[in-house]
Amino acid sequence: MADQSGVLADVRRGMIPAHIYNDRELFELEKQRVFGRAWVFVAHESEIPQPGDYVVRRVLQDSFIVARDEKGVVRAHFNMCLHRGMQVCRAEMGNASHFRCPYHGWSYRNDGRLVGLPFHQEAYGGEAGFRRKGRRLLPAPNLASYNGLVFLSMDPDAEPLEEFLGDFRFYLDYYTRQSPTGIELRGPQRWRVKANWKIGAENFAGDMYHTPQTHISVVEIGLFREPKAQKRKDGCTYWAGNGGGTTYKLPPGDLDERFRYVGYPQQMVDRMKQMFSADQLRVVGDDGFMISAASVYPNLSFVHNWPRVADSDDVLPFISLRQWQPISEDETEVLSWFAVDAEAPEEFKALSYKAYLMCFGSTGMFEQDDVENWVSLTSTAAGSMARRLLLNSRMGLLEDGAEVVPALTCDQFHGPGVAHAGYGEYNQRELLNRWADDLERPAKPAPTLEVGVGEQARVGSPA
Amino acid sequence: MRAVRSPLGAHASPLLRTGRSLPFCDERHQRAHQWLVDEAWLLDAQAYEEWLDLLTEDIHYLMPVRVTTALGAGYDTSPGMAHFDEDKYSLSRRVARFLTEHAWTEDPPSRLRHHLGNVRTFATEEPDHLVVDSATLLYRSRGDVREASVVSAGREDLLRRTPHGWKLARRTVMVDDAVIRMQNLAIFL
Repeated sequence: MADQSGVLADVRRGMIPAHIYNDRELFELEKQRVFGRAWVFVAHESEIPQPGDYVVRRVLQDSFIVARDEKGVVRAHFNMCLHRGMQVCRAEMGNASHFRCPYHGWSYRNDGRLVGLPFHQEAYGGEAGFRRKGRRLLPAPNLASYNGLVFLSMDPDAEPLEEFLGDFRFYLDYYTRQSPTGIELRGPQRWRVKANWKIGAENFAGDMYHTPQTHISVVEIGLFREPKAQKRKDGCTYWAGNGGGTTYKLPPGDLDERFRYVGYPQQMVDRMKQMFSADQLRVVGDDGFMISAASVYPNLSFVHNWPRVADSDDVLPFISLRQWQPISEDETEVLSWFAVDAEAPEEFKALSYKAYLMCFGSTGMFEQDDVENWVSLTSTAAGSMARRLLLNSRMGLLEDGAEVVPALTCDQFHGPGVAHAGYGEYNQRELLNRWADDLERPAKPAPTLEVGVGEQARVGSPA
Repeated sequence: MRAVRSPLGAHASPLLRTGRSLPFCDERHQRAHQWLVDEAWLLDAQAYEEWLDLLTEDIHYLMPVRVTTALGAGYDTSPGMAHFDEDKYSLSRRVARFLTEHAWTEDPPSRLRHHLGNVRTFATEEPDHLVVDSATLLYRSRGDVREASVVSAGREDLLRRTPHGWKLARRTVMVDDAVIRMQNLAIFL
């Protein structure tokens, strides 16, 4: 494999070698060194509310059954029969007490335990030949959740999820903790685009600069109550922990007025006032910023916006979670969920869902134009000329590294991390710096498991 | 197909088909078939303003998200989620957007061909309404060398006779893919 240290050094200067958006060698490294260790979102607990409920989700090529067992514990099993490697679950979602392999009939309880092994005595000589006791589908190397968001890490020694998310949790709460019950997730819509996965993650992390250009049509058709595209520069971007995002500047008003301005009914505002910390409320009420798009490294993004959903002046907010699931260096599967506070009134849920469909997802009028850009960029990045071009991703920095505008002070922005008003590429650089750090660090050898014999965990050679 | 419910479709007509499919020689079938062919031509040409005029004010245009579920699960659409779940207002915004000069995803425009088949027409309890089943295959080509993409779907339509001709009052599009293999659905089916 080619030495990538030059590429990584350029990335850290904010000069992006264009080919990183379509490079097979780099993608092979990303598989091991980014997706082999990061916490990757797989599901939300609201998708599997009842015992036996499951969804099947992938981390790259690895299929996992994310299931709630009979005791209510959320688990993730590698979807491969211990015998001949068949998928034991071939549906995307459902409810099952057991998963039975169609090949030879081995069956597993929804907590992963192997409970059925046809002709165990006759074929294997019972426990003496194949130790069935304690055998289970291979569990995800690491599993944890925050506000019901279930993450999986392929690294058994990954740092705790809360440390990985770090101070980004402060912002995650706006999307996922508007009431004690939290969000319910619907979907996902899934579709494949011929674009590199990093582009969406960077865009949602901090690209306020594209809004007035890419999304001008959505403003022209009156989906927003004001000519919002130009207002984008009044917002700020923030980066905290392992994620960052963008905000809109709200017009003058107190906390309640500002939440109502984006379309939240007072009963939801009252719950948010109970749920959010004093500083979380100050960001909205005192500082006048409302969260919009965001990304958590490496490939989970959020969006919060408030369009008109009928021919009136009223707007309605919606929340979407989306994952940029890498398929190859030039293809990404987008998984886009609609999220809404589970305690919201039913009418609000219906209209918020409508707002989501109009703006984002497979048919969303914002998303349609985003993807066109990303597909074009990816295809151009494949050639040799792209290897001669370093894209300038230094917006917000002067040549000597000084900032064009100073970071917001604690009094101007009460959230953790670093925030800047106006256009900048601070967050895209933060995201790609983490990517560079991961690519530089070799992956540890993963333990292998020998099925059915003795005490079998051992450390093998790296994948 | 109307087993798929949406809270956004409560305003739409709940009329159902009655009896077997009408004979192909029945004038009502021929009328419905021609309506669909004419509509397909408008969609190919992206003549969306004219298309919008063919939709009733109470239209519900629904395209659920399909999911792979076990045989016997009793459902194969994602609960509470669709690709399209539209009324006249949201469809009119989509059309208005294509008419701006800044809908980048269709500039340059796609070359579209809606292939139509398997048309079956059913009477309803009201003579001014017909239910029509059809299959559609959309071929979409963009740029010069990008691989074209295809969407295959079945549709159930409710057509209504109005003083201004037959119009579409309800459509459910059952796409045949769980994962759409098209960069976006900046099209109509």
